[in-house]
Amino acid sequence: MTPEAQEGNIFTSSLDFLVNWGRKNSLWPFPYGTACCAIEFMSTETARYDLSRIGSEYVRFTPRQSDVLLVAGTITYKQAPILKRIYEQMAEPRWVIAMGACACSGGFYDCYCTVPGIDHIIPVDVYIGGCPPRPESFFDAMFDLQKKVEDESYMKQRAERLKEQIEDIKRKSKECREDLVLRKNEACEMVSNTVRSKVNDVLDVFPFKKGR
Amino acid sequence: MKVIAPNGDKLNLMPLNIGPSHGATHGCLRYFCALDGESIVATVGEIGYLHRGFEKMAERGTWQQVVPYTDRLNYCSAMMNNIAYCRAVENMFQLELPERTKILRVIISELSRMADHCICVAAAAQDLGSTTGFFYLFDSREMMMVIWEKLTGARLTNSYARIGGLYRDVYEGFEEDVLAVCKQAEKNLSDVHACFDRNRIFLDRTVGIGAMKPERAIQWGWTGPCLRATGVASDLRKDEPYYDYETYDWNVVTGTAGDVYDRLMVRLAEIEESIKIVRQALKRLTPGPIDIMDPRIRVPSHALAYQDIESLIGRFKSVYEGVRVPAGEYYYGFEAANGELGFTLVSDGSGKPWRVKVRPPCFTQFAAFHELVEGSMLTDSVATLSSINIIAGELDR
Amino acid sequence: MNFFETLFPVLETKFNVEKDASAHWDHSVIAKASVLRDLITFLKNDESSKMEMLLDIVGIDYLGFQDYEGPRFAVEYVLKSISRPGNRVRVKVFVSEQDLEVPTISDLYPIANWQEREVYDQYGIIFTGHPDLRRILNHVEFEGHPLRKDYPAHRRQWLSTNDFLLPALEKRLESKGYKVVERSKEVLPNEDEYLTGSIQE
Repeated sequence: MTPEAQEGNIFTSSLDFLVNWGRKNSLWPFPYGTACCAIEFMSTETARYDLSRIGSEYVRFTPRQSDVLLVAGTITYKQAPILKRIYEQMAEPRWVIAMGACACSGGFYDCYCTVPGIDHIIPVDVYIGGCPPRPESFFDAMFDLQKKVEDESYMKQRAERLKEQIEDIKRKSKECREDLVLRKNEACEMVSNTVRSKVNDVLDVFPFKKGR
Repeated sequence: MKVIAPNGDKLNLMPLNIGPSHGATHGCLRYFCALDGESIVATVGEIGYLHRGFEKMAERGTWQQVVPYTDRLNYCSAMMNNIAYCRAVENMFQLELPERTKILRVIISELSRMADHCICVAAAAQDLGSTTGFFYLFDSREMMMVIWEKLTGARLTNSYARIGGLYRDVYEGFEEDVLAVCKQAEKNLSDVHACFDRNRIFLDRTVGIGAMKPERAIQWGWTGPCLRATGVASDLRKDEPYYDYETYDWNVVTGTAGDVYDRLMVRLAEIEESIKIVRQALKRLTPGPIDIMDPRIRVPSHALAYQDIESLIGRFKSVYEGVRVPAGEYYYGFEAANGELGFTLVSDGSGKPWRVKVRPPCFTQFAAFHELVEGSMLTDSVATLSSINIIAGELDR
Repeated sequence: MNFFETLFPVLETKFNVEKDASAHWDHSVIAKASVLRDLITFLKNDESSKMEMLLDIVGIDYLGFQDYEGPRFAVEYVLKSISRPGNRVRVKVFVSEQDLEVPTISDLYPIANWQEREVYDQYGIIFTGHPDLRRILNHVEFEGHPLRKDYPAHRRQWLSTNDFLLPALEKRLESKGYKVVERSKEVLPNEDEYLTGSIQE
């Protein structure tokens, strides 16, 4: 420990621990509430169960500001593209909770219009059973998710992401280069074609020079 | 979108999509507006995002197996839907229920109505920016949830009613719990009135917004609190009384203007009327049987089934074949929390329903939504939408 | 009971309706599709009935119904009176599988607009003269009519991209007297995405 650290108000830690600590204690949900489970989610928010105990009371209705996509209720084929689009709009890191039997497996609506589980469309981190699940089981799912968040490594993810980005850049620059070469050849060909045609035109105008 | 208005003005309208997943659309519904500045010129609604095939599923099971599906129609007052469906089927048998069952069904219906109105007004308050009102109203609702848990084991989707009776008798101490809820609900109501009645913001956002004329509301097929808010005193509990509603002392609440304020206040006043009915009904509650004694209709209890072979056979036949409802067609309307919940039942005499068609009350209210909001501001459409209490499970089935 | 006993003979002479034998617990009449509009107008406006409210329109498919012979489909109109509480009547129209056509009543009751769309969506019955006969509960790419008895309950159909409401909005604007000069570009569907979309089987 450095002398500055011993003076107080400073502690050392790994970056992973710090980032995960921050993330897991402020998981902002996006309630994609469609049916009965959404009413139970409303109960979870209220004073009796008090979702703010675990730092998740800040419900965001825009996918761009939220961390957890909470799919509460039946997903039908009519809204499947919307759910997928909302998932795509969320920024990384993002997690998904499937709340209730309908979101997990289609529940007892085994019918022409219901998706048999949202994992046909988007990846799911935590499943909650029940029709609808009790608020306590929702808390249980949030604790599970917090454990999952704890295990993730920010630095590892960052390294992977950087690697991906570098590969992406490499691939793109390679494509660009190939494109450039292709275009250069095309351009050369075009120029030579025009030159040839011009020469031919000249030769056509002055046919007497042809014989030489 | 460039348009020419009827008076010749050139307008540049902005199309704006709201929903199906939006904080202000309770559940899954969508409306698409053309905006001139901030005022709505035209809007079209789209439903079906929670179409779960209730009617197709109902045709696949027996008559009793429809009961859990009716829970998920209007999930804010689930037991009321059970009672409405069971009563429709019982009417086809022309059954007379035991006195205790009737009174219990009245108590359960009225408590469910209170819970439903609590959610509607609480969500409307939340949309208008009053989180305090939301918490007050959910307080008494959570107390009801505790009663439901003790009574049925489930919080929200209870499946309490059965064809020809109830799932089971009430637990010991039920009366005291219900009285405590009534007392708490009265206290919370006075708190909510203290929040809203003289609140400038609330009044500005609700009075005169989204008004509907009574003649037009009837043409649109509105029923329930939304129709009563326009001034039409139409309530099936008074008009075509069932379960001895005519013998209780209560009033039909009506509004005058049919705007958002009236719709919310009619709901709050109906909670008071429901408390009155519940208190009277509790006094009439006397011990007695809750199921009819007919093994062809109501499944014999476990206690009987373990003792004699007749009841055991009755149980088997009832589970495997279902009750044999007499062949015919019937429409029955029940005064649910949102309006007239109707069931059109077609039976071919077998144990499975041939057709179950639900008449959802909020379908008609959302169909008229464009008339309510066209010409008003975009923010008013949010207040209007929450005041007509759209429950997506019931709207799309 | 009284109101129907006085009403029925009038309907019988005027519109040649029959009593529905399957309605044991309430009142129902069977009418021909040709007189439907006149019959509903009469029931709505006449002093003897005053059925101001259309509660529901129900489609029924009788394919395979026990001991049943006759047209395959039926459309049922559930009517109720507000000024005379307790008066209700149902009107039933049989529709054969060959023509599938019933005149619309959406100009008499505005709510019939959506209810007829629902019957069209679920059974494929065409309401002639309906201003905007689209699907309402199922999505745009859905094929077939799910509540018909020959539609298997498990035949699932994916939707590739969200359905599109701009034409309906333009129709609504035009019905209010506005004239659309230039359609908006940003919400027109992308041809590549529309019907192939982000979700694939």
